[in-house]
Amino acid sequence: MAAVEKRRPAVAPAASFTDSGRPAVSRTAAPADSEEDFLRQVGVTEMLRAALLKVLEARPEEPIAFLAHYFENMGLRSPANGGAGEPPGQLLLQQQRLGRALWHLRLAHHSQRTAFNNNVSVAYECLSASGRKKKPGLDGRTYSELLKRICRDGEAPEEVVAPLLHKIQCRDHEAVPLDVFRAGMLTCFVLLEFVARASALYRLLEDPALAVADRRVGQAVLDTLEGALQASDGAPVPARYLEAGSRLGPDSLALAMDRALVARRPSSPMTREEFLEKAAALFIAKVKPVA
Amino acid sequence: MLSPERLALPDYEYLAQRHVLTYMEDAVCQLLENKEDISQYGIARFFTEYFNSVCQGTHILFREFSFIQATPHNRASFLRAFWRCFRTVGKNGEAKKKKKKKENLLTMREYHCLLQLLCPDFPLELTQKAARIVLMDDAMDCLMSFSDFLFAFQIQFYYSEFLESVAAIYQDLLAGKNPNTVIVPTSSSGQHRQRPALGEASTLEGVEASLFYQCLENLCDRHKYSCPPPALVKEVLSNVQRLTFYGFLVALSKHHGINQALGALPDKGDLMHDPAMDEELERLLAQVPGLVNSATANPEAGCLPSRTPPRVGSPWRPLHHARKVDAESDGSTEETDESET
Repeated sequence: MAAVEKRRPAVAPAASFTDSGRPAVSRTAAPADSEEDFLRQVGVTEMLRAALLKVLEARPEEPIAFLAHYFENMGLRSPANGGAGEPPGQLLLQQQRLGRALWHLRLAHHSQRTAFNNNVSVAYECLSASGRKKKPGLDGRTYSELLKRICRDGEAPEEVVAPLLHKIQCRDHEAVPLDVFRAGMLTCFVLLEFVARASALYRLLEDPALAVADRRVGQAVLDTLEGALQASDGAPVPARYLEAGSRLGPDSLALAMDRALVARRPSSPMTREEFLEKAAALFIAKVKPVA
Repeated sequence: MLSPERLALPDYEYLAQRHVLTYMEDAVCQLLENKEDISQYGIARFFTEYFNSVCQGTHILFREFSFIQATPHNRASFLRAFWRCFRTVGKNGEAKKKKKKKENLLTMREYHCLLQLLCPDFPLELTQKAARIVLMDDAMDCLMSFSDFLFAFQIQFYYSEFLESVAAIYQDLLAGKNPNTVIVPTSSSGQHRQRPALGEASTLEGVEASLFYQCLENLCDRHKYSCPPPALVKEVLSNVQRLTFYGFLVALSKHHGINQALGALPDKGDLMHDPAMDEELERLLAQVPGLVNSATANPEAGCLPSRTPPRVGSPWRPLHHARKVDAESDGSTEETDESET
């Protein structure tokens, strides 16, 4: 909030510019006041305030690019909302709605849970406020399409994410409640990050010349990962995290890899796709299917 | 992927660190100056274009100096713009260098005029300081090559505040004071070296490099403006026993790791290499009616770029320093003609 207040004095220096350059501007009160009024009247104050709050909520790495994107989206949105001219076709409208929902979903990383949850709710509202004929609500078809779009943009191989989609998809005609929607979105984003990490892990194992990894090592890493994920399934939450963490610690991972290399089994290659698919399968096995 | 410090900062610090408010304030100022635009295109569009131009680094063109130096991003953008706009000037000079001994290079004042084409109120003092790095503090009316000037200017402009502190430290060291004890009472290094005996110091030029580094390391730690990566400063200083202030600045400006860390300019070798821009220039030149004849009449296509600077300069004639630039470009055209015949 302090930040928003801080912005105000900045308007004052602008007054001098405008005064000299543009005598046509009506000046009833002191120039600084009239400029502030002007900004408030045309909606700049409100718009920047909202933008700043979004920046603070999402804390993007590159806030300026974030702002450019934010205003761009706002500009695209306004003609459709204004209702002037021909109403866009149903399909186009649907695409716009999906785009907007996606944009909201991506504003904050899922680890910033409060911001992410807010954005999920906004995205849900965007999607469910559909045509006049239908009752408001989100149907399974739109939901599935959104999931597919997220996965596609996430650059994860299709065969890797397909099992997840299968698990959390709803039927086309089903209504999707907010909590299912939120869980689905979260799972999807977490899986994408999981796959990205797994891919980074594979790059470490990979033999740069051959572009494949040693199967023994790859399998050892996967087994360790599996062990960590399945460790003490029944234990209470914090204990489970700690146990998984310790099992994935560098020492135990190194030990497993070492053991795999020492064991006298024939070496065979393992491709990136296979590694990712197996890693993702471990994750997806933990996802509860939508009932 | 995530940089958690960013998420842990208090709101205001996060915004300050990334200069978000600087740009928002400037966006509002720009908007107030261009009220007609927003009634035509809408506010969201205006802000989109503003923030996009900040991302691309074109937002600093023709802006006032106070804005250009306001953030590290603005400084880097300005350096980049300067390089891209006047690269062909340098090309002219560099080509000459190889061709014959007499170099067609520019003086400090001429470089200053170029800077003022992009930023009308660019202070002369800063250009002078940069020239001093190239010319080692003497003979200020000497000619400089574009790349020498550019890299010296880069260090001087981007690290301006840092260099001021460095100069103060250097003076203190010269005077035999250890600035660590004077400026930083809570010096973390703890080990204050004994200053060299006066007699010894006065016979040698400059200051002892390792002592200098200790002070600079301290400075980097607490400096709130940008400073070069301490590891690279150390590298520069570990190669020598003693050095002078300008010796240090020259070494900084020629260090290509520092150039890379700053990220505004390419390596020195690639400075004249910008095929996309060359193509664009040739396309534009082909559209200028008066130019086509002289270009086609000239059998050597390679000469075309060398002719570019005076021609490109001409559209800016109405600007403040037009006369100065004209004088300079006329001179270089003559030079070009001479060398071709």
